[in-house]
Amino acid sequence: MSPAYLLKRLALIGYTLFVVSLLVFGITQILPADAATMLLGENATPAALAAVREKLGLNDPAWLQYWHWLSGVLQGDFGTSTRTGQPVGPTMFTALGRSLQLALLAILLTLSLALPLGIGGAVNRGKAADLGVSITSYIGVSIPEFVSATLLILVLADWLQWLPATGYVPLSENFGRGIEHLVLPVVTVSIIMIAHISRMVRSELVDVLHTDYIRAARLKGLPPRTVLFRHALRNALLPTITIVALDVGYLLGGVIVVEEIFALPGLGRQLIVAIQTRDLPSIQAGALIMASTYAIANFIADLAYAWLDKRIQYG
Amino acid sequence: MSILSVDDYSLDYAVPAGLRRALDGVSLHIDRGEVLGLVGESGSGKTSLAWAIMRYLPESAKESGRIALGSQPLTGATPGEIAAIRGKRIGMVFQDPGTSLNPTLTLGAQLSEVLVLHRGLAKKEAETEGEALLARVGLRNPAAMMRRYPHEASGGEKQRVVIATAFACQPELILFDEPTTALDVITARQILDLFAELQEETHVASLYISHDLAVVSAIANRVAVIHRGHIVETGPIGDVFARPRDSYTKMLLEAVPRPGHRIVATQPDAQSAPLLAADRIGVTYGRKSFVSSLLGRAQERFAGNREVSLTIRPGEILGIVGESGSGKSTLAKALTGLNPFTGEIRFGGRAIANLRAMDEAYRRDVQIIFQNPDSSLNPRQRVREILSRPLALYGETKGGKTRDVIAGLLEQVRLPAEFADRFPHQLSGGEKQRVAIARAFASNPKLVICDEITSSLDVSVQAAVIALLVELQRIHGTSYLFITHDLNLVRQIAHRIAVMYRGALVELIDVSRLPEGAVNGYTRELLAAVPAPLSARA
Amino acid sequence: MGELFARMRRSPQGLLGMILVATMLVIAITGPWIAPYDPETFAPLLRYKPPTFEHWMGTDQYGRDILSRLLVGARSTVLMAMLASALGTLAGALIGTTSAYLGGRADEAIMRTIDAVMSIPSLLMALLIVTLLGKSSVNALFAIGIAFTPGMARVTRSVALAVRKQDYVSAAIARGESARYIVWREMLPNVVAPIIVEMTIRVAFAVMLFATLSFLGLGAQPPKPEWGLMVSESRKYMGQSPWMILWPSLSIATVAIGFNLLGDGLRDALNPRT
Repeated sequence: MSPAYLLKRLALIGYTLFVVSLLVFGITQILPADAATMLLGENATPAALAAVREKLGLNDPAWLQYWHWLSGVLQGDFGTSTRTGQPVGPTMFTALGRSLQLALLAILLTLSLALPLGIGGAVNRGKAADLGVSITSYIGVSIPEFVSATLLILVLADWLQWLPATGYVPLSENFGRGIEHLVLPVVTVSIIMIAHISRMVRSELVDVLHTDYIRAARLKGLPPRTVLFRHALRNALLPTITIVALDVGYLLGGVIVVEEIFALPGLGRQLIVAIQTRDLPSIQAGALIMASTYAIANFIADLAYAWLDKRIQYG
Repeated sequence: MSILSVDDYSLDYAVPAGLRRALDGVSLHIDRGEVLGLVGESGSGKTSLAWAIMRYLPESAKESGRIALGSQPLTGATPGEIAAIRGKRIGMVFQDPGTSLNPTLTLGAQLSEVLVLHRGLAKKEAETEGEALLARVGLRNPAAMMRRYPHEASGGEKQRVVIATAFACQPELILFDEPTTALDVITARQILDLFAELQEETHVASLYISHDLAVVSAIANRVAVIHRGHIVETGPIGDVFARPRDSYTKMLLEAVPRPGHRIVATQPDAQSAPLLAADRIGVTYGRKSFVSSLLGRAQERFAGNREVSLTIRPGEILGIVGESGSGKSTLAKALTGLNPFTGEIRFGGRAIANLRAMDEAYRRDVQIIFQNPDSSLNPRQRVREILSRPLALYGETKGGKTRDVIAGLLEQVRLPAEFADRFPHQLSGGEKQRVAIARAFASNPKLVICDEITSSLDVSVQAAVIALLVELQRIHGTSYLFITHDLNLVRQIAHRIAVMYRGALVELIDVSRLPEGAVNGYTRELLAAVPAPLSARA
Repeated sequence: MGELFARMRRSPQGLLGMILVATMLVIAITGPWIAPYDPETFAPLLRYKPPTFEHWMGTDQYGRDILSRLLVGARSTVLMAMLASALGTLAGALIGTTSAYLGGRADEAIMRTIDAVMSIPSLLMALLIVTLLGKSSVNALFAIGIAFTPGMARVTRSVALAVRKQDYVSAAIARGESARYIVWREMLPNVVAPIIVEMTIRVAFAVMLFATLSFLGLGAQPPKPEWGLMVSESRKYMGQSPWMILWPSLSIATVAIGFNLLGDGLRDALNPRT
């Protein structure tokens, strides 16, 4: 990878984070005709409104408000929660840690199931097993997280009583019970990803298996296993990196819903609470952190892809 | 005993409508040290025969008859037996090295793996042997080439690697499926020479499949002509090409471009002023990269055309030859306003300095036909609408109704009037190209630029399209700028020939003075590389 | 058009997709008229009933007939989702085509910005916009439409660029056709088909997103019979009656599957070369 390429990617992520911060701030603070009313509600007194406006610096020009906020953020100061009175930063980042735990476990589960399913589907194309898996993944992609979560809770927690329905135990405290509480959320949020990624892997591999170079490999007399593992997979799995990176976006959305349903104290939950209590600084921080996480995940995936694929043109 | 024997072999594919016969009672044989050329056009079944020999047929295939490798029958062989034969006793070289090599494995890895598999070499030995093989096929610096990826090698280099891989396990039979079609003429020549060398050295039996009779005549001992699944004629190559018995063979031979056989009878008026003069046309590609300018690096601008100057007289056919990347299409696009250019065009006395100056009058008089008929006709427009556009733009209805004019246009290109209601995907390649020609001639242009318009067509279809163009030229006196990479073809029809190399015009010569009169080194190299025209008929 | 339907019938996805979506549309449009009961009438004596002859899907915590609520709520879920997708597609198509047409630096700048905007996950974007506009079905519709715009802009642009590269567009330019003709008659007919396929598949996602927003309390507000809301409200009563959760969940999934299938079927049918 050439320095020019790296430079360009870094510049891009800088620009991306800048745009994200503009959007988050703009939507939550600039666009509302009056953020003060949005915060306090319709029945607030003019005096209270004026006080809040003063306090939040809403009388300053837009770009100045943005600048104050951004410079604070860059120094690590995300403001103070209007709900708890505590600094927003530490709360959000701790919450992020828990969400990342959930996300990473979900990605692990997804990859370990989606890859074999996708590969198996492509290799056994058209047979009964493939059809079965295809149909299942079609259905899997069409069920929103809150539906699958609810159904899983219904069956596994309420009816069979195998797993707890809600709640959170930090893994550091009690690994066993912590995992118990994480199983349902991780499975829920993974369902859509497994369905989606296995379909993508299958489709990608089917395309690869039809290429001229795979035909050439077969006609060289190479055994089917060699053709699959040595020749086909490296070409089919490379685009998977990009797809997984893009799916992190769905994942983060799913995390929000799942944390709400299973009462997990992660970033998603914090966001929902912040939205419901109109805690502006928390909303801004949470959204910024979440979007930045996604942007950075994509950035890493880009670099990994470029490093692995010799054909990417530098710059 | 023959190395390859095919006895009364038939192949059908099961399609929704029933059975489609791909091969019908095919019989042929190849002995040790022999090269059998299998010649046919698209849809003839020649490639199906290759798959049948390699036992690489889909499940929908139904066969009858017998194919055998020496004493071992291939039809009816078990998967185990087939696996033992592929790569080891039968090798294959494919058409496009760009797609038949795995882009994510090094060339060396793809070569070594057959050595490990079929010759039982250890990995290290296989690498050493691989290097030796690469040297044998004429690659400079084999050690470096082993470590390269396909995209880091040129087409010719890749094809040499593929050939090395096929020969590596010393097979008894090698199938060659149009191995030089995707390469430029000079590289193709080198590959053909390499093939001849190796074949003589190893006495491998070879089946050389091609649509190009000139190429086949250069390297084959015997030839089989295949048409719609039937072998219509077979025999020693000199005999078949000199004294063909079958009508299809005769038609095919007639259609092959031969420089000695001039098709165009007209001559441009030597005294008249040039119709179009291109003065130092330059085209550059590439954008300034922001990052590059930040890092102070030199800008990479790629020159598509370097100061190309030429003239075309009324009624003249000017041929432009060159390899891909030589800038011929770039020039064509500049002349029709599709590329921004520097320099000047003078047309009919007027000066055209840039795209904006190309007004309706210019565009009416200068038309272009593209290479690929699949993409030059809008798939969502019927032929009627496609042909009505130039009429609408240039008002050429001459008082008659549009429908009649369109019928007239179709007739001119020998297509039935009902075709006006069809969509492009309902037409064959040749028919689509005729529609494109009709479209170009709708405005009665003075100059028609033909950008490789027959390159994607079969030989017989190409001959028909060329005949049509020649006829239209005779009737209307149109000038052509005929771009092609086929030197034999252009010598049949052009009055003058321009040779392009790497964006520059290196030679401009009267066709009558070829080949001895060629001055430029590249031109001479090109002329030497072109397969010699068939010795058959004058 | 007739030809299109014939082609759709050929593939199992197309056929099934058409049937499901058509059924859903009929329900969405005629829902309020064919519903056997008023979706909002309380009937305290008939709470938590399982499926019976009078109530084919049972009743909810207030004794309201679930089937009727589903039929009436279909409008919100299905039509809103389609509208939101159409909105996002239109806005996105405009941006994408313009960007493709402008080309060069402008195109690159627009696309980098679109990419940056796409860093905000769809659900999060919708949440932020609903926060801005206030909680309601209509605002959720706008939120989802806006959230879809950058994705559709990207798709439109890449399709437009691919079409732009075709020789028939070059032929049109060489003929001296006007920009209007080129965009409308040469490019758009070839761009529209893939966009429609994409949009159809997005509707499935919109359905899910819309239901999720309502579920989180940020979309349709009670007592509206929106399907996501129905699932959300039924969570507390899973013990009393699993049917309350089952039917709306199944409906949401069915609509999403239907549109996915339809999109796949359309993709095959609209390919002019096959």
